[in-house]
Amino acid sequence: MTAFLRSLSAIGLGLIYAFLLLPLVAVVGASLTAGEMMRLPPQGLSLKWFGRFLGSETFREALALSLQVAGTTVLVVVTVATLAALCHRALTRRLGAAFRVAMLLPLLLPELLTAIGLLFFLNHLGLGKTLPGLQIGHVVIAFPFAFLAIVAALEQVDPALEEASASLGASGFETFRRVVLPLVKSGMLTGGLFAFIVSFDMFTISLLLKPIGGNTLPLALFDFLTYDFDPTAAAAATLSVIFAFCGVVLIERLVGLRRAF
Amino acid sequence: MTQVDIAGLTKRYGGTLALDGVALQARDGELVSLLGPSGCGKTTTLRCIAGFLTPDGGEIRVDGQDIVALPPQKRDFGVVFQNYALFPHLTVFQNVAYGLQVRRIAPAEQQKRVAEALALVRLTGLESRLPRALSGGQQQRVALARALVIRPRLLLLDEPLANLDARLRDEVRWLIREVQQQAGITAFYVTHDQAEAMALSDRVAVMKGGRVVQFATPREIYQRPAEAYVARFTGEANMLPARPAQRLAEGLWRVAIGETVLEVPGATTLAEGASALLMLRPEALSLAPTGVPARVLAAAFLGASQQCDVALADGTRLRLQASPHLAVAPGDAVHLAVDAAHAWLMPDIAP
Amino acid sequence: MKTRLLLGLPAVALLLLFFVLPYVEMVAMSFRAPASGLPFGEGHTLLHYQRALGDTLYLGALGRSLLMGGVVTLLCLLLSFPLALHLSRTQGRWHVVFFACIVSPLLIGVLVRNFGWMLLLTVDGPANRWLLAAGLIERPLRVLFTPGLVVLALVHVFTPFMVLPIATALRNISPALREASTSLGAGRFETFWRVTLPLAFPGVQAGVVLVFVLSVAAYVTPALLGGQGVALMPAIVVRELIGSFAWPFGAALAVVMAVATLSVVAVFTLLTQGLAERTRA
Repeated sequence: MTAFLRSLSAIGLGLIYAFLLLPLVAVVGASLTAGEMMRLPPQGLSLKWFGRFLGSETFREALALSLQVAGTTVLVVVTVATLAALCHRALTRRLGAAFRVAMLLPLLLPELLTAIGLLFFLNHLGLGKTLPGLQIGHVVIAFPFAFLAIVAALEQVDPALEEASASLGASGFETFRRVVLPLVKSGMLTGGLFAFIVSFDMFTISLLLKPIGGNTLPLALFDFLTYDFDPTAAAAATLSVIFAFCGVVLIERLVGLRRAF
Repeated sequence: MTQVDIAGLTKRYGGTLALDGVALQARDGELVSLLGPSGCGKTTTLRCIAGFLTPDGGEIRVDGQDIVALPPQKRDFGVVFQNYALFPHLTVFQNVAYGLQVRRIAPAEQQKRVAEALALVRLTGLESRLPRALSGGQQQRVALARALVIRPRLLLLDEPLANLDARLRDEVRWLIREVQQQAGITAFYVTHDQAEAMALSDRVAVMKGGRVVQFATPREIYQRPAEAYVARFTGEANMLPARPAQRLAEGLWRVAIGETVLEVPGATTLAEGASALLMLRPEALSLAPTGVPARVLAAAFLGASQQCDVALADGTRLRLQASPHLAVAPGDAVHLAVDAAHAWLMPDIAP
Repeated sequence: MKTRLLLGLPAVALLLLFFVLPYVEMVAMSFRAPASGLPFGEGHTLLHYQRALGDTLYLGALGRSLLMGGVVTLLCLLLSFPLALHLSRTQGRWHVVFFACIVSPLLIGVLVRNFGWMLLLTVDGPANRWLLAAGLIERPLRVLFTPGLVVLALVHVFTPFMVLPIATALRNISPALREASTSLGAGRFETFWRVTLPLAFPGVQAGVVLVFVLSVAAYVTPALLGGQGVALMPAIVVRELIGSFAWPFGAALAVVMAVATLSVVAVFTLLTQGLAERTRA
């Protein structure tokens, strides 16, 4: 009876994990086809659709914009989030919890509503439909991800270390640079990685805030999926899968996946 | 009426042997302590008895029936955990009633038995509190009531006092003993605190490296330790290398230490001329007008007694408990009297 | 210590300026007068709310969105609990692997994940071919552009959001509590029902709220996989904003959606608060 139940639950779990991973496998599989049609399983293996993807003007421009926006997002977000995480550490437990929730709000509220608010507000500022406007949207949404990762990394640092450093005569900044920074560097890297991936995949914000004539990769992919349907789309999407995969491996190596979430 | 026989219990974690043939017995109504430092296997043994761990070998017989294959929920043993393990979402009443509810006992009967159990641990009136609104001592008493209310065949306590401060520890310790005696429950008690083990137990099993090195009454453990490890773990002890020169009678030996010859009780397993250790507890030594000459190295006044570290002529250091009424200062020349009847000669086994 | 607190200023400024103010602006926008040719005009009006709340088209879409959010949340919960339980019971290397399987979808764009379902479930996709070959169906199933597929894809998107808080709650349950329960005579199922489940509830509550809020306002998935047949609130809002260029009315619809969602969340939280308060260890 127990053996039966155990195998039943193993099958159930296997199905759920398959459910989680199958779509990703499908995308990667389709992008590797040597055939002309987007079909699964792929007809022969080749990388030619990646070539076509990079050959397409639309996708190339979109990729460039996405990389640019994601790169800027990482720089801004990691700086601001590191400072905020240091502040969070200095707060009392109660206040810290409230501060943390406040910092996570952009993650907890639907992207669509934030995008709509930003659309109006940026227009008000004269930044509607401009690159800086789009950039601001990405920074706001990506911020909580970096904040979470850096706070988690800082929590691993014993406050006594900072006190020890201070007692040895180091100033606040020196303590940060010599003691805290080396210990949370991996957390900052993880946070940056999260921010990059989130920005690279962001859709709704980009849809409402994109500059006139500019398209990010997810937007280009969406248009492509709605109008054409060939493996170039799969190649574009596979790029996102590869980023995520590298991200997961890197995070596991740097800080351990468990601690990052 | 519960009698427990444990024999040849082994448990392996990966490459390390956590239990290496543990043998223990508990007679009906007896409280047996498992005493030892962390990593000696005492908690592992208790968890095997409780059924949370399955031993790799050996047997655990309760009233003659081997229970190794029985899951914990079928054993009817009450367990008290180190960190209390009270259900945080249930009130005191619900916590204590838990075991009765899963046994489908009628509600009226539940009420009655929970009230009895709470009265036993003196917690009447706190029924509707949640565990987090209780002090540590109160929580541990709820845990005790919860374990007792199911009228267990066996009570298992895993360092129940470890998380309490010194004052509460004493109070709860006596409560545990009182309750155990009143109910006449056979119990196993895991601790690393020798004073606790000696004060509470009918018998103590001192464990080392997954084995029981001595299993005897507290008095015997303290006064007639099987080896130096037991002697040191149960209290202060001066250990002097000695050779049994002559066997005077069963368990009585003549030994020479330097130029002093003593007649002391000792283990029966010793052989004449073999290497042995002579244990002198600090209270077996005293300062006297005549005797073995020594020099005082340090003296600490403790109120009821005075602890002195002295050195003999050959450099051997001894610690002794002197009367608090003597004025002693470092550097003083003194003489030692040895209470040979309370010395103990034991085999020299590597700790 | 004081200077430490100042370090939080940039973040507070960022969120105040580009997060809080935009929400204020959204509410303000919903009271503005409409204008032709321009996104909004001069003056204020309550007209948009009258229109949004008086038209069965919008109320129907709102109802459908809330209903779909509820269904998605429920299905997510059903899938996530066993996953979280399994995750909390595995150790070492395997734990990392399973954890990676659950969180890696989080790092992949919603669009890509939806696209995966399109590939799997198109008329001549592998799912249909397999079912045909197995003789389970006679004709390929047309699941693309149906509400069912939207729900499926949303469940897929939001499952990690449900698993993580539940797994955290489960991990915080001391194993000694389960041992205590079994030593008191409770079997595996009884221990699960009386101890594990109640103590995991704070995680369940957090996951349910998060997934519900996110799935009601999900835009991409229904837009890509839902086709024209199912009119959901987010799609209508975006159409008003981008297609019709009617910002005040779009804002009003967004506010209505937000208030409705928050009301549901508030009711749910109030109903379950007693349990959550108790189990918050």
